[in-house]
Amino acid sequence: MSEHQEGALSVYRVLDLTDQKGAFCTKMLADLGADVIKIERPEGDATRSIPPFAGDVPHIERSLYFLFRYANRRGVTLNLETADGKKIFEKLVKKADVVVETFPPGYMAGLGLDYPALKKINPGLVMVSITEFGQTGPYKDWKGSDIVNYAMSNTMITSGFGDGAPVNLPGTPSCDAASLISAISIVTALYMRGTSGQGKYIDTSVHECSRLALYPWMLPMYSYNVNPGMPLPPPEGRLGAMIYPVYPCKDGFIRVVALTPRQWDGLVHVLGDPEVLKQPQWREFYYRIGNAADIFAVMLEFTTQFTMLELFEKGHQEGVPIVPIYNIEGFTNSPQTEARKFYSEMKHPAVGKFKYPGPPYKWSGTHCEAKRPAPTLGQHNEEVYCKELGFSKQDLAALRRAEVI
Amino acid sequence: MSDAPLHGIRVVSFGTGGVIPDFGKILGELGADVIKVECKENPDFMRTIGADPDNIAGFNESNRSKRDFGLNMKTEKGQEIAKRLIKTADIVGENLRGGVMKSLNMDYESVRKIKPDIIYISSNGYGSGGPFSEYQAYGPMLSAFSGLLSLWCHPTDPYPVGANVPLPDHYASKMLVVAALAALDYRRRTGKGQLVDMSQVEMAANMIGEYCLDYTINERVPQPVGNRSPYAAPYNAYRCKGNDQWCAISVFTDAEWNSFCQAIGSPHWIKEAKFADLPSRLKHVDELDKHVEEWTLQHEPREVMIVLQNAGVAAGVLYRPAEILDDPQLRWVNAIVEVDHPVAGKRLYPGVPFHISDVTLPPSRPAPILGQHTEEICREVLKMSPEEIKTLVDEGVLEVSTRQQQEKK
Repeated sequence: MSEHQEGALSVYRVLDLTDQKGAFCTKMLADLGADVIKIERPEGDATRSIPPFAGDVPHIERSLYFLFRYANRRGVTLNLETADGKKIFEKLVKKADVVVETFPPGYMAGLGLDYPALKKINPGLVMVSITEFGQTGPYKDWKGSDIVNYAMSNTMITSGFGDGAPVNLPGTPSCDAASLISAISIVTALYMRGTSGQGKYIDTSVHECSRLALYPWMLPMYSYNVNPGMPLPPPEGRLGAMIYPVYPCKDGFIRVVALTPRQWDGLVHVLGDPEVLKQPQWREFYYRIGNAADIFAVMLEFTTQFTMLELFEKGHQEGVPIVPIYNIEGFTNSPQTEARKFYSEMKHPAVGKFKYPGPPYKWSGTHCEAKRPAPTLGQHNEEVYCKELGFSKQDLAALRRAEVI
Repeated sequence: MSDAPLHGIRVVSFGTGGVIPDFGKILGELGADVIKVECKENPDFMRTIGADPDNIAGFNESNRSKRDFGLNMKTEKGQEIAKRLIKTADIVGENLRGGVMKSLNMDYESVRKIKPDIIYISSNGYGSGGPFSEYQAYGPMLSAFSGLLSLWCHPTDPYPVGANVPLPDHYASKMLVVAALAALDYRRRTGKGQLVDMSQVEMAANMIGEYCLDYTINERVPQPVGNRSPYAAPYNAYRCKGNDQWCAISVFTDAEWNSFCQAIGSPHWIKEAKFADLPSRLKHVDELDKHVEEWTLQHEPREVMIVLQNAGVAAGVLYRPAEILDDPQLRWVNAIVEVDHPVAGKRLYPGVPFHISDVTLPPSRPAPILGQHTEEICREVLKMSPEEIKTLVDEGVLEVSTRQQQEKK
């Protein structure tokens, strides 16, 4: 049974108190085998209500967001704002290695469950707090959202067509940036604990991570253009269509990334060596960026004679990187996606069987894949509270009545 | 610095472009000894996109806190030296085009023969084991293949163009740091190394996994929604006073809506029934957006952000880099560092965006110039004699920066 195979992080237990800000963080740890226990309030996490839903039926067990982001966890319910809830949480902390929380600044401290308090219970504990703007500082109480975070990342102002409105990046990219950074800090702290035995507290924010980590070239690119005695660089525009041009073809669109003159020559060859494309200055990447609209108008006649896949394959043969612009269907059904078994079959009590997108890497020595679906609400209460913490079924019923779990 | 988290860990990096260079940079900032292998004939391609290979912003950002080893791997002797270097290493990272490391006899199977517990991090555009594994790829192509780009536009756009950004490069690099550190921790406990084989296309797909489920569960091909949200209105980027100035605003709850109305001065239109609750606002969202923009156009984006955030409504300027330098919150956490580079001079870079209690990370070091540390690595790591180094330089196997020699004179 794959269930019992060892992952790189199988020895660790993680208590997951995350919302969107940290969902991808604990997902990464879970995919690598960590025993991640998702702790939700008794009425269920707000992320369970994010649309769309399986079968378009709004229900706490059917949110596609929750099904994707919270797979591979066990799930318990717990009300941290009750005295009994706190005691149970402390018992869980005793047996845990990591706590990841995304509450507003000061919330955990208000409950008496901040790092100094939890460290007394478990000195080896690694705890991470992910906030919107930071635990302290002038913006600490500000609010974020996907579009607001992406706006402030430096990147949205460059997204979309130059003469149109900037466009949002789908998904939760700023939260994912914070999640990636948090996961790095967690494995770093666990690795350090291997020699020191001591836990660590880690503080990070979506604001800092998305602005500095989502696209870290943006700030240096600006800084390199600011020179004494020289005019300031022009404001950043939206240049995607010029830098990485998109061309229509028979059955869709392709994107070309030709950086070197040799790659451009390859593209001309792929398109059948038309004389009109053989202008010497067009071989230069920066010339083409500056004259993108003119070149686009000429290119159409040639790119539209081929299919996406023809251009993709010919590009490979001629040494010019060309790629089809696939929708989710095209990606899912691509022979590459199928050959790598990116999707695996998942069986969920409410949704049934479905194909689930796995982690983006294969590991040769340890297990790394999606093995269990996102937990239903309170699915593992009995397993965790009775089998592992020693509560009786009667205790559990009482806790449920008192709205502790 | 001996108390750096990764002190004593050596990484040999065959990286180019964004992913493995950024991966190595993060490990270097955490204190690992990261050795970048390249040569004049085959440099990191980011060195070739400007006039001076040592003065390119993107390269100098993604290669900070590393040493540079000038080695021509096309020679047999070069491959042998690379292997000697790997014998001293804990981690190998590569993102050369699929199949290139194998052609150099430096793929995982070859390397593990000489260093059985090596952690080998391989990241290709499409990943190994499929028909497109050897296809060359850059970041902006991977968002295209994965379906991410197809969703990254306004519904009215003729086709998606994304941004001036090689997404998902800087997500893939961070995911690989997590992987390398997890593998390192596993090796500490078990003594076993392993191969991690990433597909960057699949990384992009991981950013939109819920959309993938919309296809596999609901049999629906997700379509772009641009700046709209199914459960918030107003929710958009709104044009403000000035040239190409914008502020994003999102209003989810009725409480936020009331705060928003008050903050913008309670104009008469907010009382209309069609804006009374969220379902109505979503139904009349085009008209709502027009009203909101009438207000934002009268103000600079920073003013819009501050007025709304002070009222408890999420709002954020579509920042340009110049503006983040003044951001009070980033100043508060010292988020930006200045690093002095021998060729580029003093420039600004993003700092490490997390703070671990009781841990001071070593100061960020400038990106190396090509071949800058060849001699010291030969001497200190490979224990070569000065004669041996000289012979190999003369044979063109090793490369030493001429810039460095000029500086010495």
